[in-house]
Amino acid sequence: MTLLSIEDLSVVIRRPGRRVAALSGVNLSVEPGEVVGLVGESGGGKSMVARSIVGLLPGGSRTSGRVMFDGADVLTMDAAELEAFRGHGAAICFQNPRGALSPTRTVGRQLVDRLVTHRSLAPAPAREVAAELFESVGIRSPRRRLDAYPHELSGGMAQRVMISLATGCAPGLLIADEPTTGLDVTLTREILNRFRLAANAERRGVLLISHDLASIAEVCDRVVVLYAGTVVESGPGPQVLHEPAHPYTRALLRSVPDIDGRPVTATPGAMPLLTEAPSSCPFAPRCAHATQLCTADLPVAGPLAMDWSAACFHPRSGPLDDSAEPPVPAEIPPAGTVPSAGTATSPGVKESVLRIEDAHVVYRSRFGGGGHHALRGVSLSVAAGERLGVVGESGCGKSTLARVMLGLVQPSRGRVEVAGQALAELRGARLRRLRTRAQLVFQDPIGSLSPRRTVQDAIGEPLRAAGVPAAERASRVARALERMELDPSILGRRPHELSGGQAQRVGIARALVGEPDLIVFDEPTSALDVTVQAQILKVIAEVSGDSSRGSVFISHDLATVRGFCDRVVVLYLGRIVEEGPVEEVFGNPGHPYTRALLSSAPSLGAGYGGPQVELTKDLEEADAAGGCALAPRCPFATDECGEQEQELRPYGASLVACRRAAEIPALIER
Amino acid sequence: MAEASGVREAGADRRFASSLITVGSVILAVVAVAVLFAPLLSSWGPEEIDPLASLAPPGGAHPLGTDLNGMDVWSRVLHAARLDVGIAVAAVALAVVAGSLVGLVAGYRGGWADDVLMRVLDVFQAFPTFILALAVAALLGGGTANLVAVIALVNAPAYARLVRAEVRSIRELPFVEASLTSGSSFWGVLWRHVLPNSLTPVRVIAPLNCGWAMLTLAGLSFLGLGVPLPTAEWGAMISLGSGDVVAGRWWTSVPPGLFLLICVLGFSLLGEGLQERADSTRR
Repeated sequence: MTLLSIEDLSVVIRRPGRRVAALSGVNLSVEPGEVVGLVGESGGGKSMVARSIVGLLPGGSRTSGRVMFDGADVLTMDAAELEAFRGHGAAICFQNPRGALSPTRTVGRQLVDRLVTHRSLAPAPAREVAAELFESVGIRSPRRRLDAYPHELSGGMAQRVMISLATGCAPGLLIADEPTTGLDVTLTREILNRFRLAANAERRGVLLISHDLASIAEVCDRVVVLYAGTVVESGPGPQVLHEPAHPYTRALLRSVPDIDGRPVTATPGAMPLLTEAPSSCPFAPRCAHATQLCTADLPVAGPLAMDWSAACFHPRSGPLDDSAEPPVPAEIPPAGTVPSAGTATSPGVKESVLRIEDAHVVYRSRFGGGGHHALRGVSLSVAAGERLGVVGESGCGKSTLARVMLGLVQPSRGRVEVAGQALAELRGARLRRLRTRAQLVFQDPIGSLSPRRTVQDAIGEPLRAAGVPAAERASRVARALERMELDPSILGRRPHELSGGQAQRVGIARALVGEPDLIVFDEPTSALDVTVQAQILKVIAEVSGDSSRGSVFISHDLATVRGFCDRVVVLYLGRIVEEGPVEEVFGNPGHPYTRALLSSAPSLGAGYGGPQVELTKDLEEADAAGGCALAPRCPFATDECGEQEQELRPYGASLVACRRAAEIPALIER
Repeated sequence: MAEASGVREAGADRRFASSLITVGSVILAVVAVAVLFAPLLSSWGPEEIDPLASLAPPGGAHPLGTDLNGMDVWSRVLHAARLDVGIAVAAVALAVVAGSLVGLVAGYRGGWADDVLMRVLDVFQAFPTFILALAVAALLGGGTANLVAVIALVNAPAYARLVRAEVRSIRELPFVEASLTSGSSFWGVLWRHVLPNSLTPVRVIAPLNCGWAMLTLAGLSFLGLGVPLPTAEWGAMISLGSGDVVAGRWWTSVPPGLFLLICVLGFSLLGEGLQERADSTRR
């Protein structure tokens, strides 16, 4: 029997002066024991579906259609029925677990309270049940964790607590709204497997909402793709993810960089915000296959095979990688071959635009004592024309490294040279001038623009600071804008009037306008939607191709780095653990940490071909006493690893900070 | 069709806010007209004495009667608006500028500059506002310029704290770093990015503050520390007429009181409305 069935659901949200058709005729079902993935970009209506199911629609919403759960229509329930339904029937795991947990009560208390309310347990046995639940979601030493406050938990741990809260009252349906956004790759996989287990163990239905196709691909039975509030494709996971029929699904999948290094294809345009239910195909304006029929009529979901349907007049067939597809938009050029392995140790003949020697950064805590050691002796250099990738999980020191490169953070030890001059030796106006030689492109595109300044002001700021006269400033801003393929009409706009993609183009234009020697991209695409991400990656690839300039691309996502970097540096807890040419690091990693990162990276394609390596513990559980920082988590660590500091030494064409790097392939065999 | 209920409609807040703003603005517009056209709206000068009428009841040549000195109450009430509104607005403007500057530097610089400036503000804020105003006014003596200074001084610390708190969060935002990496100087960042973005709460508080400032001014004048007679000022008028009320001569003190009330109400409604609007857009 179907657990959840959504039939022809439409939601219109009305606000004064604004009207949004959030969902239009959505059909969707979840069976017991099934994991259904709901994917699409922001604005597609994913969260609105989740909210409809638990009756939490925003004010001013008008709904039509039915949301049938266990034979009852959720949309017509009264307050009391909804309350009962939310505890037992369906439960939600939110995107931001730490925000969804009450900060002033221990997590154990929050779970026990739920068990007492919804399962009518007495407090003492409820605590026992709570400890078991914690254990079942993979929380080690659960009894101790029951007394922890949310701020004492890491993001991954907090998400596990959320899952235990949601599953605790044995709901029939578990809804997870972007449960792994903001988590590291190694954790993402672990958390997603929890949902698979929740479906398998108790025949629960799971609705997994995500913008990230690659990561949910493995755990989903069926996938439903939303675009502008309509279901464009739904079907079994493998089919939809590997040979999608709807052009939008194909565009979406092609926009995602993959660790197997296949080219990313950008689709122009962005998702429309509909004010009325669409009367034609909402994807038609961006679609390469659109005909007159598409712009005149609304395609209905037509079955292609068992359980597989697409709302398209011209469904595609065949695998995604089929090169017979018309080559509509331009591809991102693959990484050039400018510098090679030799630059890892000596910057060769090319002039180096950035050189960092043995940089340490310690953030002192405000009230004396201790402090956080963010960088522990990082040395690297970037040559003109070179593209360096920096990867690592959150907390590894990536952002600190970016700040050091720009002189925003002074290293407590070590030396930073930009364009041949040491940052620490300059003061005042000369320091400011040197700072303009290196530019940063921020992770948060809109936040990095001053809310009260226009686009014109923002892009022109480096020029104004350099004292460029207004007329020349305007012409150079216009040129930068043109290079970003932005229309001059946006010059008078302010940041809140820009889309994420436009704002990031403005950010890149600002970095570019002063012709710097070095541009640092700090996670420039992680806040953007998938198809927009691909567009921005294309722009970045084009910009970083300038031979006079060095680029540093910082990301937690291995796949994006692979796309267009020449050389890669892997950071772990403030140290470089591996450094080498991109093909080497991805094809023949030396360090166990790099191997683990690659093993857990989600992939829709061939993925990482090498042997799988899994770290034995989560980061927050491992207290490194000394020696190799990875030793407490490393499956290959011996006693000696915990005693010796590891230094970078040659391994193939790379440098690897692991004394056992050469032995590891043999160890894995065993 | 099912209507989602339970959550208050977002539009309601905004409509409430705009009605507050409208009412407040209309009141202030009327006051502004009175201030601008006071000489045209009254046939007597504010300090002109009618030797034939002292404490004359309303009616006839004096629509609101005359006071003890035989001055026309209607004319004085109108002309007093010029002084009261003028001093209050000037004082608040001065408080905003001075307070914001202190808050800006303290919040952005941090460290010892912050500590010193904030401790100085603590000293000012340790006294109840009105007592402080009384003390300083007694020290400086009366007069328009001094009154502006006194009222600005007692109100400035609040703006300094408000702006400092905003600045402290704004300086951590990415666009400030972006401006630094663009090569902007310290003052450039402060002036072009931090200041304009930190004034949002000031815009809400300032109109409310104008209302309070008028009350402080009237209070000082009532106690004899304000503008010297015979200049028309509401607080002084109330003070002069306060003895008449028991004798049944309400017209000497009630009209200035009512005008004061209406003005303060106008500023309060405008301020409340701006606050509501800021809250509803934040949500």
